[in-house]
Amino acid sequence: MGMPGRPGDHRWSQQHLSHYVEGELRPFTRRRLERHARNCVDCARGIRAMRALVHALQGLDGLAGTRAPTTIFDRARLAGAGGPSASSPA
Amino acid sequence: MPPLAGQRPPEPADTEASLIARAQAGDVAAFERLSSAYADRLFMLLLRLLGDRAEAEDVAQEVMLRAWQGITRFRGQSSYFTWLYRIAVNEAKRAMEKRGRRPAGVSIGADELQLPDSPLLDPSRQAENNELRQALARALAGLPPDLRMAIVLRDVEGLSTQEAAQIVGISQAAFKSRLHQARLRVRAAIGDRALASSGG
Repeated sequence: MGMPGRPGDHRWSQQHLSHYVEGELRPFTRRRLERHARNCVDCARGIRAMRALVHALQGLDGLAGTRAPTTIFDRARLAGAGGPSASSPA
Repeated sequence: MPPLAGQRPPEPADTEASLIARAQAGDVAAFERLSSAYADRLFMLLLRLLGDRAEAEDVAQEVMLRAWQGITRFRGQSSYFTWLYRIAVNEAKRAMEKRGRRPAGVSIGADELQLPDSPLLDPSRQAENNELRQALARALAGLPPDLRMAIVLRDVEGLSTQEAAQIVGISQAAFKSRLHQARLRVRAAIGDRALASSGG
């Protein structure tokens, strides 16, 4: 079954769903995707799913308020007497 | 990037630039004050990437050690936050490769994942949110480290594409591609039906 729009539009649209939902496509390319998605159930569903996924991921805030352990500087303190080292990679 | 609420910013008299200069001159106390502004956030990042508190604590100590040892090479070409996060990402990746397997249990503890529960949600909707939370945790745990980092930095931590790409050390175009691949994998793992019911 053929896909709506120009040849290659479907594959191209699938590859740009993330960019589309983030509003990162330029107007011309955004319209290209939207034109295709209007007639492509798969891409229309893809846009909805990608939006929902990003929304859900952005809501994963369960660690908010977590504090770093008090030991976090222990090794730096131990090494501190020697000063910053030029030998160790950062 | 400014510290998040609840973090300990440097004293007003100690600007970040002055603390960096003092740390580079060998003042470990200045280094601690400088880095403590980002310590909580950095630790949360490691928890999200590694999914294990003990390992995150170990890696966090290593990050601060490496930052201290390398502070003389910090040239201010990026923000200190970005520089520190880059060390954290590299150390987390090293830890994941060292253990030679995917994150222990889940990359972000399922109990620690919180989709914003509205009091208006009925019990069945809350149950769906909980299922989605669990599914996201499993899906993130199943991603290769590079893909997991892309999602955690951009979507969960909320960094811009530019910041996240700089931290990972790749171009923005490459980062976007990696993020897209990661999202596609998570989407495939979760299924569109679960996402549709999340109300996002």
